[in-house]
Amino acid sequence: MLTASDAPAEATASPGSLDEPLLVTRNLERTFSGVRAVDGVSIDVRPGRITGLIGPNGAGKSTMLAMLAGTTPSTSGQILFDGRDVTRVPAFERARAGLVRTFQLSSEFKRMTVLENLLVSVPGNPGDSLTGALFARRKAKKFDREQLLVAGELLERFRMTSHADTYAGALSGGQRRLVEIMRALMARPKLLLLDEPMAGVHPRLAIEIGEHLIALKEAGTTVLMVEHELSIVDQLCDPVIVLAEGRVLAEGTMADLRSQQDVVDAYLIG
Amino acid sequence: MSNGTLYYLTTIFTYAAVDMMACLGLNLQFGVSGITNFGFIIYQAVGAYVAAVLSMPGDAANGGFQTYIGGLHMPFPFPWIGAALAGAIIAVPTGLVVRRSLRPDYAAVAMLVTAVFLNTFVNNFRPLFNGAAGLALVPAPFSGIFNSQSASYQVYYTLFALFLVGLVYLVVRLISESPYGRSLRAMRDDELTAGAIGKNTDKMRMTILLVGGAIGGLSGAMLVGFINLWAPSAWTYPETIVLIAAIIVGGRGNHVGAMFGALLVPVGFLEVTRYIPPFGPPGLVPALEWVVTGILILAFLWARPEGILRERRRRLAKFLPVQGPPPLLGSSGVDS
Repeated sequence: MLTASDAPAEATASPGSLDEPLLVTRNLERTFSGVRAVDGVSIDVRPGRITGLIGPNGAGKSTMLAMLAGTTPSTSGQILFDGRDVTRVPAFERARAGLVRTFQLSSEFKRMTVLENLLVSVPGNPGDSLTGALFARRKAKKFDREQLLVAGELLERFRMTSHADTYAGALSGGQRRLVEIMRALMARPKLLLLDEPMAGVHPRLAIEIGEHLIALKEAGTTVLMVEHELSIVDQLCDPVIVLAEGRVLAEGTMADLRSQQDVVDAYLIG
Repeated sequence: MSNGTLYYLTTIFTYAAVDMMACLGLNLQFGVSGITNFGFIIYQAVGAYVAAVLSMPGDAANGGFQTYIGGLHMPFPFPWIGAALAGAIIAVPTGLVVRRSLRPDYAAVAMLVTAVFLNTFVNNFRPLFNGAAGLALVPAPFSGIFNSQSASYQVYYTLFALFLVGLVYLVVRLISESPYGRSLRAMRDDELTAGAIGKNTDKMRMTILLVGGAIGGLSGAMLVGFINLWAPSAWTYPETIVLIAAIIVGGRGNHVGAMFGALLVPVGFLEVTRYIPPFGPPGLVPALEWVVTGILILAFLWARPEGILRERRRRLAKFLPVQGPPPLLGSSGVDS
């Protein structure tokens, strides 16, 4: 399980208060063959908000997200989530603690149906172990039935009910995105890490995904989102963190950022 | 029915049971969990050796013409239980080899190399299991009580072997149709993502290697109890390729398909080729069997990669509430 926090006093993040950050990074670094993709990034992600992470290509946004989720190890620095130091905690334990990510390229389980994709990410299924599979069949079935109600509601909300039994690999790109977002939601995230959720998605669907994200935020889910499309960031994100060459260039609302010449020069121009 | 025909049939069906059981174990690993285990035959070999040395008397018996460890002369079923345990134990180092840090294709090669290494080692290190000559005079279960050469014994042996296959089928089915099986299939489809939604893939892979190892070990015990001998030439690395071919042909991820494949490839196909009259230089026909096995794998991978009996689609929509809650947001549909 998660290790107790041994973080220094200035880098602690404790849950409970709305103003206390849910996620904190301190001097986070990632080096690939001598190249510093992320170079000493310190950010706070506060609960109940959609925080945007923007920047030009190669700024280190996706690497940052991967380090937060634990799918890429950090070279140095510290990550605190929900008051605990998770820097060396493996990805699956971070997910179980509520730090759940989606991927830039859709990563649905192709040879599983949409409903199975949703059910598989629910934590705490009594049938999700070897002994549970052999000896807790009834409990697992009951658990599945309950989760099917939740999954049914999500499918309904995302207008995917008619695809419940479709193999995820047979869906369109936009539908796969939805499956991935629904699957992440089924994992009961405290913090949802989204890597370009609108990329390659029909504009109409992008608007819908945005509406869903606002609904999620209002329901109390915290989101950290990497996004290229600034109009989307404008609508959804507050605050916005700008990364450039692996470092934090600026942070604030989009209006604030537009007034900063260096940010405009680095990224917003055009 | 003549004794000759009965002997032929019991032999064929016992071999079928052994291959079906091995295919069920390998299918759980390769078909359901996505672990390309090119070293699966090791588990069967270890199971056979352990069942042999647990049931045989000390190596001074029979004039001491064989050298081997163990020789505990244990009664049935302990040698078979020992074989299953040994199959599971030998899977532990395999599991450590294929931890996530090793790419799956490298891991497959590592397992193949391990199979080659172990075969060469057993072949050349005589004190362990009598080297290349192998072990002979392995007692059949209850051979002290019944005449293991009698026709009725052979029939009961075959029926018991098929019963065990049924039992193993139920176990692997329980696993693959459970929420745990769902997680295994998620690991097969995309391991990184499975980790990102909270699955401990290292632990899952190790567990399935252990379970598959135990099944492989049991299949080895079943085989050695019937043929009463076991040698390195019986478990060279291409034997795993035959099992993988059976699964690809039968239907990867489908347990019935895996058993069907076992009946078609190692049993049916190799049995049919026995009736081809010998032609060309000696050894040509057996060599051609391997060629045709290879072509069979390629043909199915090309034309019908899902196999004859494809993996069943788990349809769960019928369990959804009939009328869902009204959509909360938006009004348009998704693009398709």
